[in-house]
Order: sequence, then C-alpha cells, then structure tokens
Amino acid sequence: MTLWRLEVTRLIRSYRIWILVGIFGFFGVLGPLTARFLPEIVDRLGGGAEITVPDATPELAMAQYLGNALQLGLLAIAFVAALALAFDAKPEMAAFLRTRATIPQILTPRYVLNMAASAGSFLLASAVAFVVTAVMIDVPNVGGTIVGSMLVGLYICFAIALTGLFASVVRGVPGTALLTIGALILLSIVGLLPAVGPWLPSDLVGSYDALIAGGDFVYWRAVATALVLSGAAIAVSVHRMEHREV
Amino acid sequence: MSSPAVATGDLTKQYRETLALDAVSLSVRRGSVYGLVGPNGAGKTTLLGILSGLRRQTAGTFSVDAARIGVLSDTPSFDSWLTAHEVVDLSRSLNAPDTEDAAVDHVLHLTGLSDVARRKVGGFSRGMLQRLGLAAAVVGEPDVLLLDEPAAALDPAGRREVLDMITALRGTSTVVFSSHILDDVQQVCDTVGILKAGQIVYEGTLAELVRNTGHDAAYHVRIRGSGDGLVGVLRSCEWTTGVELDGDVITVSASSAPVLERELMRCLARADVPIVSVAPIERSLEDVFLEVTQ
Repeated sequence: MTLWRLEVTRLIRSYRIWILVGIFGFFGVLGPLTARFLPEIVDRLGGGAEITVPDATPELAMAQYLGNALQLGLLAIAFVAALALAFDAKPEMAAFLRTRATIPQILTPRYVLNMAASAGSFLLASAVAFVVTAVMIDVPNVGGTIVGSMLVGLYICFAIALTGLFASVVRGVPGTALLTIGALILLSIVGLLPAVGPWLPSDLVGSYDALIAGGDFVYWRAVATALVLSGAAIAVSVHRMEHREV
Repeated sequence: MSSPAVATGDLTKQYRETLALDAVSLSVRRGSVYGLVGPNGAGKTTLLGILSGLRRQTAGTFSVDAARIGVLSDTPSFDSWLTAHEVVDLSRSLNAPDTEDAAVDHVLHLTGLSDVARRKVGGFSRGMLQRLGLAAAVVGEPDVLLLDEPAAALDPAGRREVLDMITALRGTSTVVFSSHILDDVQQVCDTVGILKAGQIVYEGTLAELVRNTGHDAAYHVRIRGSGDGLVGVLRSCEWTTGVELDGDVITVSASSAPVLERELMRCLARADVPIVSVAPIERSLEDVFLEVTQ
C-alpha cells in the first residue's frame, strides 16, 4: 500500500469517484435532453400561458449541461477535495501520516488524483453530453467541445488547488470546502469587471459555451493566471502544512 | 558509553498562556525502555509530539538518533475503509520499504489481529485500534519507538500482551512510552522520567526513585498486649522521628533506614513486650509518584 494507492482506494471505497461521475454524468444526459424537449416541458408546465423558448441547438444543449453540472459539480468537487486535502482535520490520522511521510509526499497523490478524478469526470460527462446532443439534436462543434472541456478541466484543477490552500488555513472539511466555494463565487463576481475578467480563471468557464458556439480562442490570459495561481496555491499549502503543528 | 538514542536539552514549549514544557532535559539510553509518567496535563503528549516532529519547541534542543522511528499516538485512528492489513502495510511501505511483506502478517499476529487482518477498521473497538496502531508502529523494527499511552484502552489481557511486546523490544529498539498506569511502567521500564507541570522532577531508575525519595524509613511492629510502655521507650530514643500506636501496631520511623534497622531491634530486645511481627513498610511506586508530583 503506497500513498498513491491509498488515494485511489479512498476515491473508490468511499464512493467519491462515483459521486463525481454520477453528478456530471447525470447532467451530461439531462442537459441535452432538456434542451431537446424544452418546448414540450414548458408547454406541459406552462398552464396555457404562451411562452417562447429558443430552438433546440447543439450549443444550447451543451450550455445546459455545463450550466447545470458545474453548479452542483463544483460543490461536490470542493467537498471531495477537502476530504482528501484537509487531512489535519483528524489529528490522530494526521499523526499517522505526518510521522511517516513528508508533506509533499502526502499531498502530491492527493492533488494529482483528485484533480484527475474531478476533471476526468467532467470530461467524461462532456463526452456523454456531446454524444447525446449529437443523437438527439445535431453534432456540436467538435474542436470547441474538446478545447472548452479542457479549459473547464483546468478551472476544476484550479478549484482543487484553492481547496488545498484553504485546507492549510483552516483544519475542518466543511470550512475548507465552503471557503473554496466562497472564493470561486467571489472570483466570478470580480470577473464581471471588464478590465480584470479576461485575466481570471473564472473566464475559463465561459470559454466552454463560446468555443462550442464557434468563438475565437481568447483565453491565454485566464489559462496563464489559472496555472500560476494553482501552482502558487499548492506551494503555499505545502509550506503552511509543513509548518503546522498537529 | 554510547550516545543516547533520545535526548533533550532545556526543551520548552509555550502555548499562549500555558507553559506546557519547562526546560525539560532528559536522556534515553540506547536499547532501553523509558517510561514518561506524570499526571494529566503534565506535558507527556507535548513532549512526545515534539520528539516525533508533530510539534515544534519554543526553545531548547532535542535529538532522536534513529534511522527509523515508530510512533503511536494516544488515540490512534485510521481511514475506516482500510483493512487492518492495509494500514500496517501502508506504515511498512512508508517507514521501512525494504522490509518484506511478511513483516505485516508477523506484527498483526503479535498484536493479536491476525483474525481481523482483512476486516475494515471502521468497526474496530478502541482497544483493537490501539493494537493496530502498535502494529503499525513496530512494523519494520524501528530503532526508536515513541508510544503515547500504548496500553490505555486495553483490557487486562491485552495490556499484558502489549507490555510483553514492549519488553521484548528491549535491546533492539529504544522505547519511550508515556503512561499514567504506574503498574505498567513498573513492569517494563528501565528508567522513568516524572513530569510535573512541564518539568522533569525525577529521572532515574525505579529502584533509585523508591529508595531516594526523601522520606523517612519506617517499620510496623505488631505486639501482643498493651503497647504504651514500648511506645514510651521508643519515643525516648533520639534516632526515632515518629512513633505512633494504632491498636496493636506501632509505626516507628527514622530518618535513616540502616539506623532504624539496627537500633529498632536493640530497643525491642531490651523491652519486655511480646512481639508478634516486625516488618518494614514498603512504599509503592504510586506512593512515591504521588509524593513527587503533589
């Protein structure tokens, strides 16, 4: 049993990987379906009132997927990552690991495998949404879907790096997860400012819809910021945890 | 003489207003079993925490001269979805990767966990977790073992097994273990360090501790009939520091055990009183501990 295998075992036996795959997968199917049948749904629920809904397009279907999946998905990602990264929450467990391995040895598999599981779940569900959309409506923009999915995957990795940072600030799992969600919401609000928006990682979320709709790739600044901030968050979390007493 | 396996010099730890350790200096001989005893809040866990690298000292120095250190916290806890075998195997791969896999089964057997080795630890009792923690600490035969209350949660049989394990490690590993169960300390330790309010108030062998703690030597003399006459005789002797009569038992104290042993017998021989028995009052480690820490 190595620390890498420990992390894989944690993801599988505690059902966390299935929670992530389940949430994203569910919306991967639901998003295109609701886009396809939106007129019928509105008609049934409308109670006779006349409501105009947009035509079902591949862009709308993929946007439905992202919009629904990322809300609940980010919450799940923050909690799953916090459960792994806030390992000082239980001092006895922390003592077992800390007296046998260095903080980088403990954290590396937790960061890498949680990023892989979370971003991988999103990418997998994005592929599901693509296939369902192609079958039900029309084939979405392939290049836009791939690049957009990868950029959102990067944003998810940034969110996990942020979770690690907060795990080094507070000890509890709920506190770590909620601080992460709060910081992501704050970044999204700040991102509304035109001057800073393109520089913030939250801009990567918007890339998904825009690239599938055929927009240009204008996200280098957000990519660079996400990479730099993720690296910095991880470095700070390692430093802080190395100096934290249990 | 070889250098100590564990040593501290004026080790101090301050938690805001509380001085948890106050210039603690101790030395643990290589291959010995060192008992760290003291009342609750004396600083035992803090001291072990610093030695195991989980906490940092405010001042002072310490050294743990070992390639491998095994650590057991006072209430060990593990991921509930791991099996007992996986917990010990994880410890082996981290602490002693060159050790063969068979060592895992061996220590699980030693700690009495062979039958539950493949069970997830989520359902383990506190005693079983303590055994598992000990198994994870000793796998790979560490040079130094730091054990915080290793037998606290165990039933008498389990405690016996754990103490036997610690005794068996003497000579191959250096063991520092904290305990408030003096009987455990008495059974396995070569040396004890008594902590009181963050200070080492005694360090040495148990025999020296019992012998040298500044207390009068005393004997019980059981007599038949009235003891008033003998009490009067004894009180008139200048070497006695205390003579008390309680029923048919006289308690005689003197500042020096050899003087008491020599003079008491002379006195009794002179007195015309039937003597039933004469016995020294043995002071237990607990008596001494309470005396030192109060």
